[in-house]
Amino acid sequence: MALWEKKMAYNVLIVDDSATMRALIRKVLVISGFDIGEYFEGGNGREALDILENNWVDIILSDLHMPEMDGETLVQALKKHEMWRHIPVVLITTEARPEVIKPFLNLGVQDYIQKPFRPETIRQKLTGLLGEARTTDASEIESCDF
Amino acid sequence: MLAKLKAATFEVLETMFFLFPESLEEGEILRSQGPFLRSSVTIAGPQSIRIGLQVPQSLARKMAANFLGVDEAEIYQPEMEDILKETTNMLAGSFLSKMEAPAALKLQTPIVQWLSAEEQKKNKPEKGLRFDVDEEMLELFVEKG
Repeated sequence: MALWEKKMAYNVLIVDDSATMRALIRKVLVISGFDIGEYFEGGNGREALDILENNWVDIILSDLHMPEMDGETLVQALKKHEMWRHIPVVLITTEARPEVIKPFLNLGVQDYIQKPFRPETIRQKLTGLLGEARTTDASEIESCDF
Repeated sequence: MLAKLKAATFEVLETMFFLFPESLEEGEILRSQGPFLRSSVTIAGPQSIRIGLQVPQSLARKMAANFLGVDEAEIYQPEMEDILKETTNMLAGSFLSKMEAPAALKLQTPIVQWLSAEEQKKNKPEKGLRFDVDEEMLELFVEKG
């Protein structure tokens, strides 16, 4: 690949109180072929804000229901911050009721993915936000045994 | 309500765990060795309810292994507990979507506990569904919250 064709690597922050769900999301990102620079993980909104204090993050994938600081409080804190307000946020949540999701979209959350999800759904949503991944063969992801 | 819960159960198990449950007839039981895991989540609102599920440890291990795409030998207690809570959460979330429930009904944080075979026998749910999942029994229950 020529130098000018090299795609940027993205730093991703995954926020979920379930360690197994964080591991799964990370795995989906790997098999989807996105050029990921660094992965950061937080168990709640507070931990996510602590990570952001010291690290550059390009996209945040966050759950809604978490102990200590939930996704709603996290999004509100992000949108108040001069730098962090521009970081794209995608909710990965069990909630898909329009009345629950709409306030977040109004707050500036880019998109949401409902659990349960198929790996392909995450890939499609993130492709829209980050651009095409290195792996463009969707069947590779659909048939992936993970 | 139970039909929507059943649909949510199929959706979650098939999508996230590659497991294909079959409904058991009323009174039909599959015997499993204990211990068991019981997880539940409260849907808080004007009339709170609690949705939960109960599985033998062997099925919890299989679910966690399928979820993470690893060998069952790599699954320990924290993963099994985590996966049960996450499954219950997804079931309740899917159920609320299918019910088109108002936003006033809020999902709380799920909890999980271990039950011995004796405790499992005493914890017979009043209202629920039973499924055969790879020849092991998954019990889904609904209680007043």
